[in-house]
Amino acid sequence: MTSVAIIDYGRGNVRSVYNALDYIGVDAEITDDPAVIDNASHILLPGVGAFGDAVEALHARGLPEVLHRNVFEKGKPFLGICVGMQVLAATGFEHGEHAGLGWLDAAVRRIEPGPDCLKIPHMGWNQVDLVSEHPLFAGFRPETLVFYFVHSFAVTTDDTDKILGTCDYGAPFVCALAWDNIVTTQFHPEKSQDSGIELLENFVDWEP
Amino acid sequence: MLKQRIIPKFLLRDGRLVKYRRFFDDERMAGNPVSTAKVYNDYGADEFIVLDIVPSAESQQQVRDIVKKMSEEIFMPFTVGGGVTSLEDINALLRAGADKVSVNSHAVRNPEFVASAARQFGDQCITVSIDYKDISPGVPRVFIDGGREKTQHNPVDWALKMQDSNCGEILITSIDRDGMMTGYDTDMIAALDEQLDVPLVVSGGCGGLQHCIDAFGAGASAVAISSLFLFTDHSPIKLRSHLSSNGINVRASKTSRN
Repeated sequence: MTSVAIIDYGRGNVRSVYNALDYIGVDAEITDDPAVIDNASHILLPGVGAFGDAVEALHARGLPEVLHRNVFEKGKPFLGICVGMQVLAATGFEHGEHAGLGWLDAAVRRIEPGPDCLKIPHMGWNQVDLVSEHPLFAGFRPETLVFYFVHSFAVTTDDTDKILGTCDYGAPFVCALAWDNIVTTQFHPEKSQDSGIELLENFVDWEP
Repeated sequence: MLKQRIIPKFLLRDGRLVKYRRFFDDERMAGNPVSTAKVYNDYGADEFIVLDIVPSAESQQQVRDIVKKMSEEIFMPFTVGGGVTSLEDINALLRAGADKVSVNSHAVRNPEFVASAARQFGDQCITVSIDYKDISPGVPRVFIDGGREKTQHNPVDWALKMQDSNCGEILITSIDRDGMMTGYDTDMIAALDEQLDVPLVVSGGCGGLQHCIDAFGAGASAVAISSLFLFTDHSPIKLRSHLSSNGINVRASKTSRN
């Protein structure tokens, strides 16, 4: 049976992710309990707080090890959202330099306003351009690939095979990653109305 | 590219949806906030702003309950504020389902508050709400306590100071234009846009579709709307298609997405 462990690392509003999963009728629990995470079929790492703070909070609860066991050894479908995507990188540069979980060769850097003097944070709805197909985006059309973003930092990686989607804010940035049983989004599906609900439905149906 | 946002703004008094003119005149009841929010959600609004305009301990609990109900069924961002005076207040609203918390009077009285809130909850969580009116022609000043208390701050200078305190967004409201439906203060919007690096949500005066085009033209990141949606037959759908056909980059309307 499908059950989603929403990883609780004690920061901010993770309730909205729970509400969205509850809305689509999926068994979900906000938890930092290794036993609950071990029993879940799907793992969701929500995005709250700043990079270094989030990594530290995960370590303080012994969660990197639990996540590693479930994602890499047991191969459970994993979705990382926003900071939950960023912390997978090797290094983050928000409020100083911090080591991330290092699941991929990537860094998290501040978005530059560029010559157009774009507003930072990048806040609001923006178009996602998919680089390749993925079950997470099954059934989407260009006009439904519009999601809610709120962030000042973004992932940069040379590991281009793992880039699933980009988004244009002055220049393209990586807004979705995917490899094996792991998928991540910089945007917030739980705040993206019908498109977000559809994406979460795809995630819980995903059998990598 | 990033879409321009359409944001219904709900004013709550004792947990009821209300609307005034120039903050105090001509009180009108405007329905149940949760059911109204659901309608606008179906119309494909981009976010919601919910402000408790006469905050008390009791009303703040009502607002948390309302936001909790909204966030259980509506999956888009909520900015919530009114009477926020502590980090605990912010935490309680975030836990209730708010994504951003709006801070107004307390930021003026405690200039360090916004910086400490941004540090604890993240810049993007903290919206600074600024109400202003002209004390004489061409001399705008920031007002606090729901427009009751005049300060010495010029709104542009104050917005920049709040940006330096790491707020994630500015919500600017013209008291003179509130509920009047005569158009946004585009001069103020342009003056703020020229200097601000954070997104700018503009409020006060929207009474027609062209007013939104003017606000975006002047540099708004988002338009906050009350009267136009509450008291006319304009909906977010109609506004969206009008903006889109006038070259403003907004989300496709929800009906065309289904």
